[in-house]
Amino acid sequence: MKIKIISIPVRDQTKALAFYTGKLGFVKKTDAPVGEDRWLTVVSREEQDGPELLLEPAPNHFEPARVYQEALFDAGIPYTQFNVDNVQQEYERLEAMGVAFSVKPTEMGTVKIAVFDDTCGNNIQIVEMR
Amino acid sequence: MTFYEREINRIRATVYANRGQLDTVIGIRRHINDHFDTGLSLDALSHAGFISKYHLLRLFKKYYGQTPKQYLRDKRIEQSKLCLEKGMSVAETCYAIGWESPCSFSTLFRKKTGCSPTTFQKEQFSQYRFNHKGEALQHQI
Repeated sequence: MKIKIISIPVRDQTKALAFYTGKLGFVKKTDAPVGEDRWLTVVSREEQDGPELLLEPAPNHFEPARVYQEALFDAGIPYTQFNVDNVQQEYERLEAMGVAFSVKPTEMGTVKIAVFDDTCGNNIQIVEMR
Repeated sequence: MTFYEREINRIRATVYANRGQLDTVIGIRRHINDHFDTGLSLDALSHAGFISKYHLLRLFKKYYGQTPKQYLRDKRIEQSKLCLEKGMSVAETCYAIGWESPCSFSTLFRKKTGCSPTTFQKEQFSQYRFNHKGEALQHQI
């Protein structure tokens, strides 16, 4: 058994694809129509055979998913995190592109973290191992 | 302040309050990162961090969730992938990451990645060719 796909709930798949590729720098891996939605995944540019992130429109179709996503967002909780080499540099790069951070680069024991709004209903945490 | 920010502050004040311990384990991890290609041992790490072997083991596991040996092995496997992607042979890769024998390196690599170093290297080359062929086709279109 392998970990191949991890889902992240998004309200608007087109907007999400633009954010995750245009700002975060991920690469689109699969894009297939599924009814009115799409099976849409992105991968890390440096690890294109690694796990895929599924931009999943569940909040639009399943009320509990929408409520759960909203509750996490309002509490500032990032349910998904990505590793980076340098949180400060990534923070400066993304902030210059207009990305809003709820937690600026912060040392947290053996890691440094920052949290930003992915504009699709989620807080995302970036992490640098120290 | 959000719930998450309050939690960050609470955890930092309780779990990560000991600055001295943090500096020690962060220093040990950096030492592993900088010297993974040498014959690192628990004795050498203990010496580099100026603490006893047992204290080092306990602290590293407490803050990183794995032993220094486990971390070192993961680091070496991660680096070996880069070496193989560059086209280095299995034996060259083995010695470049500080491992003793190509045979035990291959066994560890297979255990950690699910395939042999040779298979991994072949897959990387075919993936590279596929990606570049795709890019070439996109330019033609």
